Amino acid sequence: MQLNIQNLSKTYPNGVQALKNVTLEIPIGMFGLLGPNGAGKSTLMRTIATLQEPDEGTITLGDINVLTQKEEVRKILGYLPQEFGVYPRIGAETLLDHLAVLKGITNRGERKEVVKALLEKTNLYQHRKKNLGGYSGGMKQRFGIAQALLANPKLIIVDEPTAGLDPAERNRFLNLLSEIGENTIVILSTHIVEDVKELCTNMAVINQGQVLLTGTPTQALERISGKIWRKQVAKNEVETYKATYNVISERRSAGKPVIHVLSDGQPSDGFVQIQPDLEDVYFSEIFGKRVVTVGSLQ
Amino acid sequence: MWEIFKFELQYRMKRPATYIYFGIMFLMAFLAITTDVIQVGGGAGQVKENAPTTIAFFLIILSVIPGLLLVSAVMGVPILRDFEHKTASMLFTSPITKYQYLGGRFLGSMAITIFIFLGLFLGLAIGYLMPWLDQEKLLPYNLGHMIQPFLIFVIPNIFIMGCLFFSSGALSRKLLVVYVQGIFLFIIYAAAEEVMGDWENQDLGALLDPFGINTNSHLTRYWTVAEQNAQTTSFSGLVLWNRLLWMGIAFLSLAFTFWKFDFNLVGNASRKQKKKALTAVDTNSIERATTVKIPTVQQFSGLGTQVRQTLDLSIFYFKWIVNQIPFLAITLGGVAYTIIVFFFGLGGGMYDVDVYPTTYRVLNILTTFDIFFFIITVLYAGELIWKERDVKINLIYDALPYPNYVSLVGKFLSMVYMFILLLSVIGLVGITAQTLMGFTEYELGVYARSLFIDDLSNWVLFAFLGFFIHTMVNHKFLGHALMVVFFISTLVITQLGFEHNMFRFASGNLGRYSDMNGFGHYFQPFTWFSSYWFGLGLALFALVLFFSVRGAESSMAMRWKLGKLRLNRSLITFGLGALTLFGFSGCYIYYNTNIVNKYQNSDDSKADQAAYEKTLKKYMDSPLLKIVGTKVAVDVYPETRDFEARGTYVLKNKTSQPIQKIYLQRNVDSEVKDEVRFNVPTTISESWDNFKFYIYELENPVAAGDSIEMDFVTKFHTDGFVEGGSNTEILQNGTFFNNTYFPTFGYQSGNELNSDDDRKDNDLPVKDRMRPRDHPIGVTENLLGGTADRIRFEITISTSPEQIAIAPGYIQREWEENGRKYYHYKMDEPILNFYSIVSAEYEVIKDTWSNGKQDVNLEIYYHKGHEYNLERMMRSMKKSLDYFTKNFSPYQYRQLRIMEFPRYRSFAQSFSNTVPFSEEIGFMLDVGEDDVDIPFYVTAHEIAHQWWAHQVTEAGVQGNAMSSETMSQYSALMVMKQELKPEIIQKFLKLELDRYLRGRATESKKEQPLDHVEGQGYIHYRKGSLLMYALQDYISEDSVNLALRRIINDWAYKEDRYITSDVYLEEFRKVTPDSLQYIIADLFETITLFENRATEATYEKVGDKYQVNLDISAIKYRADSLGNENKIAINDWVDIGVYGQDEAGEDKLIYLQKHKINQETMNFKIEVDELPIKAGIDPINKLIDRNPDDNRKRLTLKEDS
Repeated sequence: MQLNIQNLSKTYPNGVQALKNVTLEIPIGMFGLLGPNGAGKSTLMRTIATLQEPDEGTITLGDINVLTQKEEVRKILGYLPQEFGVYPRIGAETLLDHLAVLKGITNRGERKEVVKALLEKTNLYQHRKKNLGGYSGGMKQRFGIAQALLANPKLIIVDEPTAGLDPAERNRFLNLLSEIGENTIVILSTHIVEDVKELCTNMAVINQGQVLLTGTPTQALERISGKIWRKQVAKNEVETYKATYNVISERRSAGKPVIHVLSDGQPSDGFVQIQPDLEDVYFSEIFGKRVVTVGSLQ
Repeated sequence: MWEIFKFELQYRMKRPATYIYFGIMFLMAFLAITTDVIQVGGGAGQVKENAPTTIAFFLIILSVIPGLLLVSAVMGVPILRDFEHKTASMLFTSPITKYQYLGGRFLGSMAITIFIFLGLFLGLAIGYLMPWLDQEKLLPYNLGHMIQPFLIFVIPNIFIMGCLFFSSGALSRKLLVVYVQGIFLFIIYAAAEEVMGDWENQDLGALLDPFGINTNSHLTRYWTVAEQNAQTTSFSGLVLWNRLLWMGIAFLSLAFTFWKFDFNLVGNASRKQKKKALTAVDTNSIERATTVKIPTVQQFSGLGTQVRQTLDLSIFYFKWIVNQIPFLAITLGGVAYTIIVFFFGLGGGMYDVDVYPTTYRVLNILTTFDIFFFIITVLYAGELIWKERDVKINLIYDALPYPNYVSLVGKFLSMVYMFILLLSVIGLVGITAQTLMGFTEYELGVYARSLFIDDLSNWVLFAFLGFFIHTMVNHKFLGHALMVVFFISTLVITQLGFEHNMFRFASGNLGRYSDMNGFGHYFQPFTWFSSYWFGLGLALFALVLFFSVRGAESSMAMRWKLGKLRLNRSLITFGLGALTLFGFSGCYIYYNTNIVNKYQNSDDSKADQAAYEKTLKKYMDSPLLKIVGTKVAVDVYPETRDFEARGTYVLKNKTSQPIQKIYLQRNVDSEVKDEVRFNVPTTISESWDNFKFYIYELENPVAAGDSIEMDFVTKFHTDGFVEGGSNTEILQNGTFFNNTYFPTFGYQSGNELNSDDDRKDNDLPVKDRMRPRDHPIGVTENLLGGTADRIRFEITISTSPEQIAIAPGYIQREWEENGRKYYHYKMDEPILNFYSIVSAEYEVIKDTWSNGKQDVNLEIYYHKGHEYNLERMMRSMKKSLDYFTKNFSPYQYRQLRIMEFPRYRSFAQSFSNTVPFSEEIGFMLDVGEDDVDIPFYVTAHEIAHQWWAHQVTEAGVQGNAMSSETMSQYSALMVMKQELKPEIIQKFLKLELDRYLRGRATESKKEQPLDHVEGQGYIHYRKGSLLMYALQDYISEDSVNLALRRIINDWAYKEDRYITSDVYLEEFRKVTPDSLQYIIADLFETITLFENRATEATYEKVGDKYQVNLDISAIKYRADSLGNENKIAINDWVDIGVYGQDEAGEDKLIYLQKHKINQETMNFKIEVDELPIKAGIDPINKLIDRNPDDNRKRLTLKEDS
C-alpha cells in the first residue's frame, strides 16, 4: 500500500496559496515532512486526513480515493492534529474509551485491553482517572498520540507531534513511532530536523506550498555533500557575509556568530568545509536558493 | 486608564458588531413606532401612541428584552476577550495597574453600550416624526417625554446590567456565566412580578424589580387615559428607591470585582501547581511503556455499530450537559422560580382566593418553566453543535470513522434525554407541591400526556430548529440571536395576517385540560399539527446532516461540496420522507381547517363584520314578528360532538301595522346546517348567503295581533378539526350551548365592530358601544334584542345514556329509547328568549328551600370529585332566596339548578331557574378562613339575576347593566354582608376598588358614569359594588330595598317597555333625604373621586377617656370620560373613624361617624373610651379613592410641652 499525492493545490479564501501542485509518493514506513511554520505541512496533512478539500489534485491510498471515500480512509487512519484540546473535566481513560467506540472497537473486552495498553504505552496509565484539564502540555500530547494509535491504524498522520514534549518524552515517542512504522505509513510533519534524521526512511522538504525535495535522508545529504562551509565571524560582519554569500544558517557558538554557507567551492578564507547534516539540507533547500536578509529561524 | 479607555473605544468603534447593535436598537425602536410589525404594547384606544406612559413602557421593555442580550454581549466580554485572545499576559506585564486596566475597560465598554442604546433613543425620537403616522393618535412632539424615562430607567438599567455582567465576565472569564447571570436577573424580575400578583405585596415587588418594569407599571396602574397622556413617572418614592437599590448592588459588584480581580497571574495558579504534580516521572511506568504490546483489535462499522456509537455519544453528551454549571444553574433557577410562582400563583384566582392544586392547575403553573426550557434549548443546541470545536478536539473527532449522522443524532438524542430529565424534574416539583399543599389526587396520566407528549414534542421541535440554525449560520452568538429573532418573528407574522397555526412553528398543543372533558377533542389536531412540524423538523435535520461542518473548513461552498459527497440513498430517503410527512400532514390539516371547516384570519373576519354592517344595517329597526312560543327537540350526540334540533317558533305581529317581511338570520358557523319552513306561503325576496341573511316576503301580510309558525331544523355537525378556537360548547362531556345556534330575526347589531381602530380600518364611522338611554326603539327591546319579549317554552333533549341533559323548565317526563336518554322540560310561565342546553355526566345533590309561602327545589349538578364547595353554593342559594324574597319579591319559579360546565369558559350565567356555572370559577376554589367566599358570592350574584334580568328586564341601551349587573352585585353583597365577617366584606370592596381603578386605566373608549355604562365590566360590576355599598351606607339598606321593591312592582315582566337606569335614579332619589340628595349625582351620574388622607393623628388621656386629635385633608374630584380630573368644592358627609384593638390584637372600630367635610383640611377631636390605635377619614374606604391606604394613620401619644 502506498499513498499517492498527485498535483495537489489549495488556495485559501484569503488568497494564501497553501499548496502548489504538490506531488508525493509515500510508501510504508516513516515519512518525514519537513518545513518551516506556514509551509503548508498542516494543510497537506489535514487534506490527507480527510479533513480538508484541495482545489485540485488527487490522493489515493492503495485503491482508496482519499478525497471521496473518506469513511474508508478514516477506518484505517490515526490522526494527531497539530493543535488540539481535550474535555477538561473527563479522565483520559474515559475519553479514550469513548473515542475507541467511535473508532468501531465495540467489543468491550478488546476495547478495555487496547485502552489500557495505549495508556501504558504513552505512560499515562497512572493518571488515567485524572481530569484531562489538569494535564500538562506533554501529557496532553501523549494522550493525542494514544488516541491516534487506536484500532491499529494503517495510515498514521502526526502533525508536529514532538512539540511540547521534553527530550525524554520525545525519545520515547519517536521510538514508539518507529516501532509502528515498520508496517504502516506514518507521516510525521515537523520543523525539527532531528526528528526526521533519527527516524525517517523517506522525507520531503516543503516550503511555501511547494515540495522542494523528496527522497531518503541519505539521498538528500548527498546532494549537498561538499558544499557546506562554516566560518566563525564577528558580529558586525554578519550582514556583509549575508550580502555576499549564500548564507543558509547563522547561529552562535560561545557567543560568536557561526555561519554556514552553501557553495560549490570555498567561499573565501576562513571557511571550513563540513560534513552536512540534515539541517543543512533543510536550510539549503529553504534559504539556499536566494539572498536572505534575516536569518531568524527559530 | 485613559489609554485603556481609548483603546477599548477604538477597538469597539472599529468592530462592525457595535454598529450592528446600534442598528438593531434603532430599527427595533423605529419599526415599533412606525409600523405594526413590532408591537411593544401601549397606545390602546384613547391613550396616544406617544403618550409619556407609552414611551416609558416602551423604553423600559426595549432596554431589557434586546437590551439584556446586547449589554451582555458588550459588557460581559472586555476582560474575557483578553484571555481568549491571550493578550492578557502581555497586558498584565505592562506597567499599568489593575485599577487602570479594569477602569479603562469598564468605562470604555460602558460608553459603547450607552452609544448603542442611543440608537434606541434615536429610533424613538425620529420614529415619532415620521409623516405617515396617524396624527390623530399622536400628542404634540415632546422630547422631554423621551429623555426623562431614558434617564431614569434606561441609563440606570444599562449601568445595573453593565456592572453585573462586567463583574461576572471579569471574574469567571466565561461567557456562559454572563448569560446565566442574565437569566438570573430575569428570574428576579419575573419573581418580582409574581410577588406583585399578591396584592398585599405590591410595593415589595415594585422595589425588587431589577429593571424597574414592575415599578413603573405599579405606579401607573391607576392612571387614567388623560394622565397617561400627560404624566411621566417622577424620580421619587418607589422609583428612586428601586433605582438606588439596584445601582447600589451593581456598584458593589463592581467594587468587589476591582478588589478581587487577580492581576498578577492568569488566574489559575492552582491549576499550574497541579500540573507540576502530575508531570513527576515514574520510572516503573516508563519501563512498562516500552514493553507493553498494543493488542490487535477488531474494528466494526455496520449499522449495529453505528447505533451503538450513536447511543454511546448521546449518553456521553447527556452526561456532559447535566454536569454543566450553566445547565444546573438555569435548571435550579427555573425550579426556584417555579416554586415562587407556586407560592403566589395559586392565590392569583378571583379575589385572591387560592385554587386547589389540581394536576391541570399545577401543570399550568409549571409552564412558567417554559422560558427556562427555551433558554436551555437555545443555549445547548448551540453548545452541542459547537462542542468539539469549542474545546478544539474537533479535528480528532472528525477524522474518526463514523458516518456523519452518528454524531449529530447522538447530540440530538442527548438533548432529548435532557428534556426528559427536565420534564421529570418539573413533574416532580409539581407532585411535591401538590403533596405539600395536602392535595394528593395526582393525575399521573395528565402529567404524562401534558409533559411527555405535548411539552416534549414542542421542545424537540425547537431542538431541530436550533440544530438547523446553528449549523447554517455557523456562528454561535449569531445562532443564539437568530433563535430569539425567530421566536419573536413568529409573533410578527401573526401581526402580518399569517395567523394560521400552519405558520406558527411547533403550534401543536393539547389545549386546555378540563376535569370534566379531559383532553377532549384536542388530541386529533394535536397529532396532525405535531406530525406536520415533525416533518419539517426532520427535513431541517436532513439539511443539518448535509451541511454540518466536518473537518477544518466551514465555508458554505466547501460544505456544499462535502454535502454532495454525503448525499447517499439513505439521506435522500430520509429527507424526502420528512418532506412527505410535512407535506401530507400539511395537506390534511389544510383540508380539515380550510376546506371542511371555515378559516379566516382576524382581519378578514373583521372585514366581514364591517361588510355585514354596511350591507344590512339599514334593516336594523325594521319591524319584526316576535317569537312568542318555542317548542324544540334537541338530540345531543356527545361522542361525535353533534346535535340536531327540530323546533317550531310561534311568531306574532305585536305591532299595530300588518307585517309583510321576515328578516331571517341563520347561523353562520361552518358546522351548522339549517333550514326553515313557514306554515304560510312565502317567497325569498332578497338573500345574502355569505351573511346567512334572508328576507322572506309573505304572500299574505300578518295582521296586527296575528301569528304564524316557523319550523326549523338546525344540524350542528363536527367534521374533522378547525384551525384554532375550536368549539368548546358542544363537547364529549360538558356540552353547554344556548339558543344562538337557532335561527333568529332581524339585523344583529352584536356583530358590529366596536373598537375605534377596527372601525377606522374598515371605513366605518366611530360609534358608541350602545344606543342612547332614551332611544325610542331601544327602550322597547330588551338586552337580547328585538327578536322576542317573553316566550312560552318547551324542550325535549336526548343525549347519550350516561349523561344528564338539562334546560330551563320543569321536568315533564324522562325516558329511555333506542339506547338514548330523553328529558322533556316545560316552563309554565313565559321566559326570556334565552335558554341553555346542557348535557354531561353528573352527580347531583338536592335540597329544598321554603319560606312558608313558597317551596323551591334546589339542585346542584356537578362533576364527580368537585364536591369542595357544594355546601357553600347550596347555602348561598338558600340565603339568597331568603334575602331576595324578603326584601324584593317572591321567587318566580319552583326550582333552582346549578350545572357545572368545563373550564374552557369561565363564567356563570343565569337562565330562567337554571344557572350553568363554570368548573373554573367556583367549584375548585380553596376558600380560606379570611378569603372572600367566591362560590357563595357568585351563586348569590347569579340568583339575584333571577330578579335583576328575569323579573326586571333591562332595555338594550346605555346604562342597562346598572339594572342587571349592578343590582345583582348589590343583592349578592347584602347577602354576603349578613353571612360573612365584616373584614371580608371590606377586603371584597377593596379588591373591587382596585379592579375598578385598574379598569379605568385601560379604558379603550371612554369611561362612563354608571348610569350610562356601556357593557364596561369594571364599572357595572366593580364600581357598581362600591357605589351601591356606599348608597346603602348613606341612606340605609332598607331605603335602598324599598326603592328596589317599588321598581319590581312597576317593572317586573313588562314587555312593551324595558327598564332604563333613570328609573333607578328616580327611585333612589325618592328614598334619599334632602341633605344627601347630592350623592345620587355623585355616585351614579358623574365620575366622582376623593383624595382623602389622615395627615396628623395624636391622642391624649383625659380622665379615664381618650381624646383623639385628627387632622385630615379631603379633596373631591370630578373626572371626564378620559380621566381629566377637576377639583370641585367639597361639602360631603364622610366617615371619621377611630380604631382600637381587640383581644387578638386585631384592629377594631371603636368610633365611626359621618361628619360634614366642607374644607380641604380639617381637624377633629373625638373622645373614645378605649385606648385608640389608629384614626382616619373614610377609614373603611366606602368612597372611590385612589390612595385608599393613606386614609388611616397610627396615633401617637401627644407630648405635653
